[in-house]
Amino acid sequence: MSFEPIGPTPAARAGKIALLVLPFLAGFFCMLLSFVPFSRIFGVEIAPAFGLIAVYYWAVQRPDVFPPYGVFAIGLFYDLLSAGPLGLWALVYLIVYGLVISQRQLIIGRTFSLFWLGFLISSAVAGFLGWALASLYFGQFLSPATVLVQMAATVALFPLFAKLFEQLLQRLLVQG
Amino acid sequence: MVTLAAALLLLGRAETYVVDRARQVVTDLAAPLLELASRPVSAARRVVESTDQYAYVFDENERLREENARLLAWKEAALKLEAKVSRFEALLNVQVDPSIDYVTGRVVGDSGGPFVETIIANVGSQQGIVSGQAVIDTDGLIGRIVATGPQASRILLLTDLNSRVPILVEPSQVRAVLAGDNSAWPRLEFLPAVSEAQAGDRVVTSGDGGLLPPGLPIGTLVETEDGFLRVQTFADRSRLDMVRVLQYEFPREIDRQDAPAALQPPKGDGPFQSPATVPPALTQGGTSAGEGGT
Repeated sequence: MSFEPIGPTPAARAGKIALLVLPFLAGFFCMLLSFVPFSRIFGVEIAPAFGLIAVYYWAVQRPDVFPPYGVFAIGLFYDLLSAGPLGLWALVYLIVYGLVISQRQLIIGRTFSLFWLGFLISSAVAGFLGWALASLYFGQFLSPATVLVQMAATVALFPLFAKLFEQLLQRLLVQG
Repeated sequence: MVTLAAALLLLGRAETYVVDRARQVVTDLAAPLLELASRPVSAARRVVESTDQYAYVFDENERLREENARLLAWKEAALKLEAKVSRFEALLNVQVDPSIDYVTGRVVGDSGGPFVETIIANVGSQQGIVSGQAVIDTDGLIGRIVATGPQASRILLLTDLNSRVPILVEPSQVRAVLAGDNSAWPRLEFLPAVSEAQAGDRVVTSGDGGLLPPGLPIGTLVETEDGFLRVQTFADRSRLDMVRVLQYEFPREIDRQDAPAALQPPKGDGPFQSPATVPPALTQGGTSAGEGGT
């Protein structure tokens, strides 16, 4: 007769699972949110890249709970749903994710405005990469105006989502 | 992971069946979620619009009164023309266009990406939607169906990079192809070098190729600063809500028609259909087109 090794309690285990699953789900819903025609309420046409906010936030705060394949999956679903070039945003998000992780020490634990500035730079990189790749893919010079507007709207909305994610992260850490 | 994404990018360039299928499945699965989310958006939009309208209700009333007076004169002209046309059709033994059935759906999903101009509507193959069908709203043509699933279908807007629609410029009857380039104003391709088309002319579908019904209103010609002609669509891209999918089928088999015994407008039976079978878009589009032309 053997004894079971003393492991984490069921509650702690559930907390761990939640910590692994919830950030991804949050990112996934952010991605879906891009397709909800909010901007049409006011008769304008902007679809902010909410998915990028999630990728950036978790890459800075807790890359361990938001692994690269999560980033890849979100980018891929975004591509599939938007009927754009398949793999375009998956690639861009992964590159941005890698860049942010490499510069993580500069941002983490500093002021919020620095955190926001980091996002401004990241979304500029993402916008440029996406635009350049899409131009190559379609074999013609695309107008950069749409992607500029999209990224500007995303940067403007960043604080709101950062606060929401912060709430989520704190809840998870209390549980886990 | 990065290599995988890059490989997908190259693979997707080939537009394989698997990629299309995957897109459709994901769209179909996401459609109910999007529909749920788009309901409050629609409601909020109506609230914003109605408050907007309260502010201008007096001016709007004046404008409508004037427009009504103008339209009544147009109605008289239209009735006269209708009688004349049906008489001529009878004289010339014209095959009248068949009437077009339609399915109405709601736009539930925006294009999302900055490089694609497609929207998702909550009607699919279960309602008889087939890829290639024209989609209109109350103002005119907005695009056509490019993919369908059981629950949802994707509409390629006229402004998308990949959209090509054969058109006719009225009144000069010049034919061209309307090509989207992701900007708000699609451009004209294959326009004859010397043509009478000019800014302000009305653009309708020509029906060439048999995919789209002829005569659907699209927009008016505008001239850009560098002297090229582009099209301002009647439909407002940012205000799309309810859309209508036209189930048009190109009349492939046409019955042999004999000249009528007496030259009288036909009444229902025989090879003629009633001349009043105008596609639904035409009657609605006609009013906004008259407005856009002034």
